[in-house]
Amino acid sequence: MKLTLSWLEDFIDLPTTDPHELVEAFESLGHEIEDWHVIEPTFTGVVIGEVLEVSTHPNADKVRLTKVDVGDEILDIICGAWNFEAGAIVPVAVPGAVLGGDFTITRRDIRGITSNGMICSETELDMGDESDGIMVLNSDYPSAGASIGEPFAPFIGFPDVYFDIGVTPNRPDCLSVYGLARDLAALYEIPLRAPDISVATAGDPTTIDVSIDDATACPRFCGRQVRGITVGPSPHWIRRRLEFAGVRPISNVVDASNYAMVEFGYPTHAFDVDRLGDTIVVRMAHEGETIITLDDQERVLTSDDIVVTNGTLPVAIGGVMGGAATEVHEGTTDVFIEAAYWNPPNILLTSKRLGLRSEASARFERGADPSFCPSGADRVAQLLTQFAGGTPAPAPVDVNPGDITPWTIEYPLSETARTLGIELSSGETTSLLTRLTFGVHGVDPLTVTVPTRRPDVRVPVDLVEEIARVHGFAEIPDTVPSGPGEGLPLAERKLRTLREIMVGSGMYEILTFSFIGPQDLEHLHPEDPDAAARAIAVVNPLNETEGVMRTSLIPGLLKAASTNISRRLPSVALFEIGKVFLPGGEEIPDQPDRLGFVLAGRPDAQWHTDAREYDVYDGKGIVELLGSNMSLPEMTVVQTQRPPFHPGRCADVMAQGTRIGTVGEITPSIAESFGLSGRVVVGEIDVSELLANRGSWQYEIPSSFPPVVFDMAFATPDTVPGADVLVAANAGAGDLLEHSQLFDVFSGESVGEGLVSYAINFRLRAPDRTLTDDEVGPVRKAIAEAVAESTGATLRGEL
Amino acid sequence: MSAITNLADPMDSLQQLVIDATTEIGDAISIDQLDAIDTTLMGRGSSISEARRGLGAIKDPDERRDTGRAINDVANQIKDLVTAKRSTLVATEEAAALAADRVDVTLPGRIPPRGTHHLITQTIDEIVDIFVGLGYTMARGPEAETEFYNFTAMNIPETHPSRHESDTLYLDYGEKDGGVLLRTHTSPMQARYMEQHDPPVYVVVPGKVFRSDAVDSTHSPVFHQIEGLAVDHNITFADLKGTLATFAREFLGKDTKVKFIPHYFPFTEPSAEMHAYSNGRWIELLGCGMVNPAVFEHVGYDPSAVTGFAFGMGPERLAIIRHGITDIHGNNDLRPLLDPDQRILRQYV
Repeated sequence: MKLTLSWLEDFIDLPTTDPHELVEAFESLGHEIEDWHVIEPTFTGVVIGEVLEVSTHPNADKVRLTKVDVGDEILDIICGAWNFEAGAIVPVAVPGAVLGGDFTITRRDIRGITSNGMICSETELDMGDESDGIMVLNSDYPSAGASIGEPFAPFIGFPDVYFDIGVTPNRPDCLSVYGLARDLAALYEIPLRAPDISVATAGDPTTIDVSIDDATACPRFCGRQVRGITVGPSPHWIRRRLEFAGVRPISNVVDASNYAMVEFGYPTHAFDVDRLGDTIVVRMAHEGETIITLDDQERVLTSDDIVVTNGTLPVAIGGVMGGAATEVHEGTTDVFIEAAYWNPPNILLTSKRLGLRSEASARFERGADPSFCPSGADRVAQLLTQFAGGTPAPAPVDVNPGDITPWTIEYPLSETARTLGIELSSGETTSLLTRLTFGVHGVDPLTVTVPTRRPDVRVPVDLVEEIARVHGFAEIPDTVPSGPGEGLPLAERKLRTLREIMVGSGMYEILTFSFIGPQDLEHLHPEDPDAAARAIAVVNPLNETEGVMRTSLIPGLLKAASTNISRRLPSVALFEIGKVFLPGGEEIPDQPDRLGFVLAGRPDAQWHTDAREYDVYDGKGIVELLGSNMSLPEMTVVQTQRPPFHPGRCADVMAQGTRIGTVGEITPSIAESFGLSGRVVVGEIDVSELLANRGSWQYEIPSSFPPVVFDMAFATPDTVPGADVLVAANAGAGDLLEHSQLFDVFSGESVGEGLVSYAINFRLRAPDRTLTDDEVGPVRKAIAEAVAESTGATLRGEL
Repeated sequence: MSAITNLADPMDSLQQLVIDATTEIGDAISIDQLDAIDTTLMGRGSSISEARRGLGAIKDPDERRDTGRAINDVANQIKDLVTAKRSTLVATEEAAALAADRVDVTLPGRIPPRGTHHLITQTIDEIVDIFVGLGYTMARGPEAETEFYNFTAMNIPETHPSRHESDTLYLDYGEKDGGVLLRTHTSPMQARYMEQHDPPVYVVVPGKVFRSDAVDSTHSPVFHQIEGLAVDHNITFADLKGTLATFAREFLGKDTKVKFIPHYFPFTEPSAEMHAYSNGRWIELLGCGMVNPAVFEHVGYDPSAVTGFAFGMGPERLAIIRHGITDIHGNNDLRPLLDPDQRILRQYV
């Protein structure tokens, strides 16, 4: 809602015109100021003058000579405009005046004759778009003739203040200058001047017969016929106000309708009576019915749309847009002004479906004031009388089958204390509500009568809001209640630990979009052409790359890795924790939380550390770290083959026998389709298991006796998983084993064809004694036997 | 230096021994050399050792005692000299070894690997922790949500524009047409949480939310919200003001001023926006209000028995304000928060 301070002052005498104070006042009422500025003239030295004589220029036929009275002297001015004659009251830039901030008016010679200034157009004064002629003030500003020689700027309304106000959707009553003035009047406790909307009628009564088929769709339809109008431009001041209100001036008829809408919030529509005929029937549209609207578009209607018809054909889409066939045109003399109340949901549906959201539909869809319908039409008629020479006809139309009347709310005073935490007496409450022009009776409960312009006020809590707003939020004290203090849930605390482990492993957290493109799944799963089709689709994605809900974090991670590599970063280490979306849930999709990570590239060599490409063991190491630090019992990995992972470098992550994720290197061709080359290590794990366990370890006293440390190496068939050797070795070592560590793996001639050597360092320690050689020998033997038995490996070297 | 006993006056020869030893020990330049000198002076076959052995031959007990004392004195003197010299040499050798072991510590160290938590995560954690300090707990909720919880339970009318496909992203899921969507706010968790818990309820709910918006400097189809809800007997707007002002002071600094201006949300009434004065200007921090009784009715709470307040805020916005996240023209910009560039992520320390 855009407007000027001077327009507000038509209805209220504000105690301040300081814009900063007014901004705060509007805000305290809940009307957020989106923009404001002081309107100042871009000119100086312009005065009001009267043209005394007009004559031809002897040496030029495109300009004329004038004598202009500017109060203290009469100036000879040469003027190129032809829209005035002697007697015109005009703005005059006298020598020394400055226009547009930098154009100084001087006496200058025009074809042999001196021109002593300039008579100005709207454009030259930065006051409007009209540049074809100079501003003629006589009819627009009747008092201008009495102000010859006085400065033009204050006369025309400078300075002023422009406000752009974000009216919340619950307040259709404030989508008008008058509505905002009413709220300010309530705040400042100042009188609100009621407008005089009276029309002087003459001639025959209205000839147009109106009927309503559907009283829900159109509860009230008012109209006033105005005859004898002359279509032309509106006065300067109307155009100026409309421009500040963000409405483009068009003609006196259209402008009158728009001016009344901004002023009182009631949209109207003018029909050309000659084109309309004498019948109006309001009904729901037939499915598939068409109308050509004012913008010359053919609109196909549905049975949710309300139409105004001439008895057979639609002539307007009710509350949304008029029809081209009955449009006011240059030759129009007789108009019928419609001011109807439309059912807001229908307006919303129609305007959204047709993409026809306008100032009018915005008001109707939130709810205009049905009580104001007759005045809405009459205000337009009044303006047409004043500025288009029209004569309103007697007997206006008012078909009111809906008969919407004010309603009442029983308001117990206890509601104020209960909701706001302050006590207000019956008198104080009555005073606050009365200021807002609610009717109030009784003591406690109060019986509050709500005017029809406030569809948002229906129940007591709506009144609490009004009371709080006008009483002032700042008047309510601050108190701080405390909750019971349950703290963070276990899963949340564990989630923070999980994130910290990832960060502490050198990885950066990212948050990618929850949707991906179908092509991402096609790239990730070339072996599964239906992968994208199985994903849950977004019905109305903004673009194709956001078309399906992610079924895995991997595409997002690969794309993020690719972003970094494409920006020439040598390596990337990223993780994300977030939901994936899978079919299965009854009402809504299954949305398990997952952890995913990606390691790619080759971290730069440092002077103390060689460069090394990431590989699958970096990923597996992360998984093992999580297993040992997240209290997850029995976490293991199993070598597997699972697209999109490299068939030889992929492992399933198991928790208590159930697969919870996968870690490995991405198949090179798939990595390439995401713009990545080299080894790309990825892991994805369902985190629900990781977050579920509190952990219940028990303390073990470390032995204070010396350990025995030795190495053993096993030549193992290369078909045996290395992990089996380690498991068997540890089992064989028995209770004395404190720690074992695989420290070398190699194959080759020295080991033998088809064999791999695993060299393991063991540290044995007894809790209660120093181990002797006699005890260690049998342990070594047991280890060798256990490994041989379980894997077919042979001990390398002596026992 | 021959045997002391060979000298005419044992006392004189002992004196001479001390003098010679002092010079000899003083000249030693290594611990090995000092050890050799020590052995020569004090060890088997040394003058001292021989002198001690010769004591038995002195008949006169007084003389024997005096000579014995003199020998011990000399032995102790030499021992002290050796000890002192040894510690000097140890120190010298150690210093030399350390000097040889010097490195240039201005060279980069071996930094253990460490990434960062995303700035949005950090901001959410910080905000959640402030409310945990006020006795709240925390919950999360589904991101793919039903139209009922997202809109209807939140008192948003069937005809409200926000339900339209131009604002809300819908999912092709289940039988019901248009019934499942990507939640447009974290508010549906108000309803879910109240359905699952009896009052009192003090909870904050962070999470992703979704809108049908293209990415620009102020919009993203995916962003985050933190919802808060306090429902109890006798919760008032004064409690809302006090709680959120406390939050602002914790988050932005103890001198932070706030103001509440009326606003409109379908699920709260009265509704407000809280603005905070920060870095010389008022900024909109969050939306809030008293829970609309219609919401209580949807979740089966008795609106005559309890009252509550709710609030919602955007961590992106708070992070942008706090860390000066802008485009190259200096205008606040959301997009860096969406960028997985490690050069940005590295800054989130």
